Amino acid sequence: MPDPRLGRVFASLLPDRIASDAFEPAWEDLRIAYLIRRQRAETSLGRAPLYAAYVFLAVVVFLDCWRLALAAVFRSPPAERRHADPILAEPKQTERLHMVLYLIRHAFRQLVREPAFTVAALLTLALGVGANVAVFAVVDAVLLRPLPYPDADQLVILNHRDKRTGITKEFIAIGDYVDLVSRQGAFESLAAYGRGQTSIIDRDDPYRVDLLGAAPGLLEMLRVRPVLGRTFQPEDAREGAPKVIMLGYETWKNRYGGDASIIGRVIRLEQSERQVVGVAPQGFTFPPTATTDVILPLTLPTVAPAQRRNGWTFALARLRPGKTVDDAATNLSSISRQLESEYPQSNLASEYYPLELRTSLAGNTKPALVLLLAAVGVVLLIACANVANLLLARSLGRRREMSVRLALGAGSGRLAAQLLTESLVLALVAGAGGVLMAYWGAHALVALLPQSGNVPGLSDVRINGSVLAFTLGIIVLTTLVFGLVAALTVRSEKAVGVLNASRGTSMGAKARRATSTLVVAEVALAIVLLVGAGLILRSFAGLLAVDPGFRTQNVMTMSLQLPGNRYRELGARDAFYRRAFAELRGVPGVQEIGVAAVTPLTGNNWTAPFERPEQPVPAGERPPEVGWQLASNGYFKALQIPLVSGRLFDERDAQNSPPVVIISEAIQKRFFPNESAVGKQVKQGDQTLEIVGVVGNIRRAGLRDEPRADMYFPFERNLPGQTTLFVRTATDPEKSLPALKSAIARIEPNAFVAEAQTLSHVASESERITRVVLWLLGVFAVTSLALAAIGIYGVMSYAVRQRTREIGTRIALGATRRNILWLVLQQGAVIAAVGTVVGLGTGLATTRFLSSIMYGVSGTDPLTLTGAVVLLVITIMLACYVPARRAASVDPAKTLAEQ
Amino acid sequence: MPTPRQLPPLSHLQFLALGVILSTEEPGRVIRDVVADYGVRRTGAAFYQLMARLERDGLLEGWYEAIVVGDQAVRERRYRITASGTRAWRQTRAFYETVAAAAAQGRLANA
Repeated sequence: MPDPRLGRVFASLLPDRIASDAFEPAWEDLRIAYLIRRQRAETSLGRAPLYAAYVFLAVVVFLDCWRLALAAVFRSPPAERRHADPILAEPKQTERLHMVLYLIRHAFRQLVREPAFTVAALLTLALGVGANVAVFAVVDAVLLRPLPYPDADQLVILNHRDKRTGITKEFIAIGDYVDLVSRQGAFESLAAYGRGQTSIIDRDDPYRVDLLGAAPGLLEMLRVRPVLGRTFQPEDAREGAPKVIMLGYETWKNRYGGDASIIGRVIRLEQSERQVVGVAPQGFTFPPTATTDVILPLTLPTVAPAQRRNGWTFALARLRPGKTVDDAATNLSSISRQLESEYPQSNLASEYYPLELRTSLAGNTKPALVLLLAAVGVVLLIACANVANLLLARSLGRRREMSVRLALGAGSGRLAAQLLTESLVLALVAGAGGVLMAYWGAHALVALLPQSGNVPGLSDVRINGSVLAFTLGIIVLTTLVFGLVAALTVRSEKAVGVLNASRGTSMGAKARRATSTLVVAEVALAIVLLVGAGLILRSFAGLLAVDPGFRTQNVMTMSLQLPGNRYRELGARDAFYRRAFAELRGVPGVQEIGVAAVTPLTGNNWTAPFERPEQPVPAGERPPEVGWQLASNGYFKALQIPLVSGRLFDERDAQNSPPVVIISEAIQKRFFPNESAVGKQVKQGDQTLEIVGVVGNIRRAGLRDEPRADMYFPFERNLPGQTTLFVRTATDPEKSLPALKSAIARIEPNAFVAEAQTLSHVASESERITRVVLWLLGVFAVTSLALAAIGIYGVMSYAVRQRTREIGTRIALGATRRNILWLVLQQGAVIAAVGTVVGLGTGLATTRFLSSIMYGVSGTDPLTLTGAVVLLVITIMLACYVPARRAASVDPAKTLAEQ
Repeated sequence: MPTPRQLPPLSHLQFLALGVILSTEEPGRVIRDVVADYGVRRTGAAFYQLMARLERDGLLEGWYEAIVVGDQAVRERRYRITASGTRAWRQTRAFYETVAAAAAQGRLANA
């Protein structure tokens, strides 16, 4: 459906009267025509071409309205021409109108007359515009379109940073949360939230739901107005308060048939019965990309507990009117320092800071998108430079025509207007083609980007009003860039000189300088992209070579959640896991089965304090943090994490046995430098644990993460109801997946198995954004290189043609073919050298924008810089070689005879 | 003293457009099609600007009406002639008829 907002955007860009008189009815007619044609399915290519045509016509209507608006300004007072037909009654107006129409008609005719030029220019520009619009459509959806909450730009997520290690987390300790709520002054409100899953059990079949735990105030902060009932009150979240629940709109509609008397009804979740107090509005979810089926009040203490880090929560806040994120950061930083001095044992080097909700959700997609937008902008500039060159070359062929017209009295402004109109027509047609390309390109780009996580808007990328406005902006910009170059050059020509010239036409010094400058600019821009792509390529190669410390091949991972009501007792869970492991081992091809709380390479940063009882941390200091993992014996075997000394967990580590841990080599090295750690003690709160084994380091959070100190706690002692299975198989693990799932279903049909994926896939996804940037930047770099080569080829070919006579004379006077070849190649080399120097300077200045994506390579990496220069020089020399050969093969007798 | 003679209040195009809605209301695109049949190719925006001027002069009335095309609700601009529009159209017609009759009888030059 044509987006009605597009019409509103266009109308808002027009003078009021023209918008209501002319644009709106014409726009509505266009929509009607589109819908009728779409109904008739007049196109076999699908709706996209029809939609693109419609968008193009919408742009035409918009421009036509501006034509009318401008015509009205230049017209004589309206009273004089009341009721008069403007065409018949006003010769001046007619003249102007005819001139505009003539310019447009003439521009079209010129384009049709020179199909080779037109196709080359249109393809170049359409590619440039299309790539820009496609990337912008994704940028618009992910970074620009408002989140689905009123004043969402005032919302921030609170993050935690450990200043000692730089490790950041999106959650905050409960004790700190309580104090932050009471001490902060930058936020209108601050409220905790959590996410999870549960089942509604009010009929035979348990109904799986995603839940949002909301502290009182969270829903008000998000400006949620329930369609029925109320949101949560502070008393709903007190300890011992009657248990209440809000239903999501979809749950209310689908599960309860939109029953208006649902308020007050009691429904059973896994462990508890809750009374429905409200129904959330349609479409409400938090976070925006999550599903929110039910909302429960989050019960948190009102006074900070003594053990401040006993539990963590997420927190959302809304800035006070007039306060900025920086103000909030200052405020949080000062409270963090207070907490640091008051509670050094838990808060030393702990810092809280706000992150805008959108930035937090977009994660590393944001820098990648901004980078790609900049890269496509560069491609467009190169495309413009190329088309400008084409226009310049073409204008030479028309110099006689222009000179005759100048001599006959046409103003040079009129000729410039003609050239600008041609550029505009070219850009408009290319723009329409570009929008069509972007329609597919944007969706292809979305398919390439990582789908995991919370990136908002990815599912809703479309060519909407703002994208079209951006396209229009690009079209105007490109017209100005390449049209003005051509127009200004022609304006400067001396009519008389050309008319007096005995034969042919040649470029004036100014035009020659313009083409050379354009080609130098192209070369410089191409090298910027080449350097960028080279750096990402080197980073990616570096990441591929990284050893994560474990083997990812042939391992299937899947998350498993047991129905809480049946596995509340530890014994029940123990029995389930024993049977499940036995059953899974029976699946053909299965070699090892492991369980752990954290899947490696997914960015998880959970930590635990590490302290040796015999070396206590001085009073007023906080023990260092190390990575936390809950793992079974099979986890190490499934991932082939090597055992360095001691043993892995086994039957001896079950419940009621002395608590034990396994540490990674990094802990051994740091805390037990000259002794064996096995058998030593670790302090955890009031507990003392024995180190029973040391295993190899792994890169737990991601491939870019340095191997960190990790501490493993035995799964067998805790047996959580929600965990991740790691199954190593002899062959392709995907093939074993159905058998693995059915093995679990045989033991517990209500067990919830999700997110089944191979560990290789997890590893590959963790660096997907780098791969996408690498591919696209590579494509852009190659495109720009090709465009630059075409540009320099054109310039050199022209130069050779112009110098044919001179070359013929040189050969006649004894110059060898090799001399001539060098003569031409030298000229190309100068352009390449200047372009390379300018481009390298710019490239080096811009590599810092790549820093968030680069890995293990510096912005001044000599190999990359040399590679980019060599590739460019070879390409340019190849592009110059063809015209140089042509020059060397000039027949002096023939050339001189022609003169 | 002879009656002062005046040119007609409407241009050909206005005469044609008002003629389409003289006895019935019509949507703008139908009027535009009729006008186009007479060889007057106006862009959509220019056509509606013409209609807006006639509306401001009180010769016709325009309004939006919701219609459904396929499964989508859209609006179309419809027009009906006003009393003064009818009067202006008749005056124009009378002008041409008078001029035509006088010309046929060779009286125009002596009038």
